[in-house]
Amino acid sequence: MIAVELRKLARRPRTWATLFLLDLLPTVVAVLLAVTHLGPRPGQGPAFLSAVLANGSLFSVAALAIVLPLFLPVAVTVIAGDSIAGEAQAGTLRYLLTRPVGRTRLLVAKLIAVLVFVLVAVVVVAGTGYLVGKLLLGGQPLTASTSVAGVTGVTSVSGSTLTAGQIALRTVLAIGYVALSMIGVAAMALLLSTFSDSPLSASLGALAFLIGSSLLLPLDAARGIAPYLPTRYWLSFIDLFRDPILWRNVERGVLLQLVYVVVLLGAAWANFSSKDITS
Amino acid sequence: MRRGWRWLVVAAATAVLVALPFAAHLLPVAHSSVSAAQLLTRIQGSAHVQYSGYAESSGGLALPVTTRFNSINDLFGDRTQLRVWWRAADDWRVDSINLAGERDLRRDRLGVWTWDYESNTAERFVEAVVPIVRLPRPDDLVPATLARRLLSQVGAAQVTRLPDARIAGHDAAGLRLQITDARSTIEHVDVWALPASGLPVRVTVFGKGDSAPVLTSSLLDLSTSAPPASQTAFRPAVTAKVRSSQFGDIVAAVDQFGQSTPPPQLAGLRRAPLHLGSVGVYGQGVTALVAVPVPPRLARTLARQLAGTPGSVSVSSGGSEIGALSISVGPLNLLLSAEGIDDARWLLAGTVTAPTLLAAVAELPPAAGFR
Repeated sequence: MIAVELRKLARRPRTWATLFLLDLLPTVVAVLLAVTHLGPRPGQGPAFLSAVLANGSLFSVAALAIVLPLFLPVAVTVIAGDSIAGEAQAGTLRYLLTRPVGRTRLLVAKLIAVLVFVLVAVVVVAGTGYLVGKLLLGGQPLTASTSVAGVTGVTSVSGSTLTAGQIALRTVLAIGYVALSMIGVAAMALLLSTFSDSPLSASLGALAFLIGSSLLLPLDAARGIAPYLPTRYWLSFIDLFRDPILWRNVERGVLLQLVYVVVLLGAAWANFSSKDITS
Repeated sequence: MRRGWRWLVVAAATAVLVALPFAAHLLPVAHSSVSAAQLLTRIQGSAHVQYSGYAESSGGLALPVTTRFNSINDLFGDRTQLRVWWRAADDWRVDSINLAGERDLRRDRLGVWTWDYESNTAERFVEAVVPIVRLPRPDDLVPATLARRLLSQVGAAQVTRLPDARIAGHDAAGLRLQITDARSTIEHVDVWALPASGLPVRVTVFGKGDSAPVLTSSLLDLSTSAPPASQTAFRPAVTAKVRSSQFGDIVAAVDQFGQSTPPPQLAGLRRAPLHLGSVGVYGQGVTALVAVPVPPRLARTLARQLAGTPGSVSVSSGGSEIGALSISVGPLNLLLSAEGIDDARWLLAGTVTAPTLLAAVAELPPAAGFR
């Protein structure tokens, strides 16, 4: 059943169009940076964008920072929101469940397909960012940025020099962190997908939840609940590139997303397992 | 019921997960028997205590100032996230972090390094010219540094004990400094510190009549182990732009090259000893004001900005306007004097009342620009 869901995901043109569009924005940004050599002013623009002009190899994480606030969540909610509601809207959910397949099994298969999409989307964005950064902005810093001590590497956010191995490891950790954050988004869309027969409603509902979280975050009055808002620690993967790594927010981000994933998927399971399927 | 058990499981799991973060707050706080006087002495002598941690400060003082003073707004009008490694008073590192990068300060025996990730710039200030008077920096907001500064000239009779609290995973003893000076706009300062070492871990400052603090700085993570020397040392990468500077900011430059000479006393507040620059620092602790002779060009910009700021008033004396502008931002009062020599003006700012600033500006000689 999992293989069936994965094949279904891979055969849909929408999946590939989504991945293409996800890659398009960072690529356009890289082209513009390469042509104009105009980075954002300090304090403005996505993280790492001011640094990639001197250090193209960091564009993989800059690309994640570019798509993370909006594009990536939109893509994930579109795919995850369609999981159950899409079948219901097409009238195929009843027929799916007439096969000797339990509802929990179907939900798990749908979930795994969404998880694979999330992971592929994040890896593809980071990978494309790395290639585009190397090609358009130059990959020389990994070999040419030599510190006074003779260590080759990339300048960390804290001004020290990180070796190519350290940068690679931290980039992998950042990809995992962003993927986990997006799994929280997927869990919300999947939950709403079990409630609604409309994929659009499920996707928009999940997006509304995230936009609400983002709007509450900068409010002083909402400071008390800020640590529990789903988007609070999304950009904390930047802390992986400080020296030493600031684990505090990364740890909290991981725990918070795990809680959201457990609770939302639990609710999705409780609802889908017990609801009346009419379409 | 057959359908409902799944929801019960989910609700129970949710309740457990939501309750977990609050469980830590239920841990009992060990009572400390240290007296207020002992705690004050330990706090005042805690500069040698080694530690590292993560702190956050927040303030509500959004000042109507020009870009030259933007750092003040960033520090006192917003939330600041700080990482601290403290080995000694002349060997520390404070990183001011944000979502796009960080700005670091690293102190060593020869001076200060600053690092700005977004501009890829490292700047060196050698010790011979480290300014005595300067604008506030992120390291000034570290709870330990802030507490020592606020309590530096306080006597045992001025402080009382507060209930102990658990802060950054450590039991901390509380101390309250009640301000009795009528010239001050500060009501009280609360400090919590580790009772054994005196290391301050939280500071809250309340203005007169305020129910919420105007400034809070607290450690959220704390390690009392000595940080390794490698954490505070700095060596800029080759790709970084490296500069060597004489002055950290406009105030330090004015202090050295300004032509004005502030008097030894203003509004009954004595000038800080051992400082003979053009900038006058008066008072002590939280009853203090600073008088800066602002050069003509900057003075004109400031005057325009202040005049257009809601809440600013044109100062009158004896029924007629004297060409000065003033504004209150919480407990902080600012006053820009009338034009002096070549349109230079005095900028007075402090946690003192508006009448105190008015009395002070009347005692100042005409402001002058640079030599």
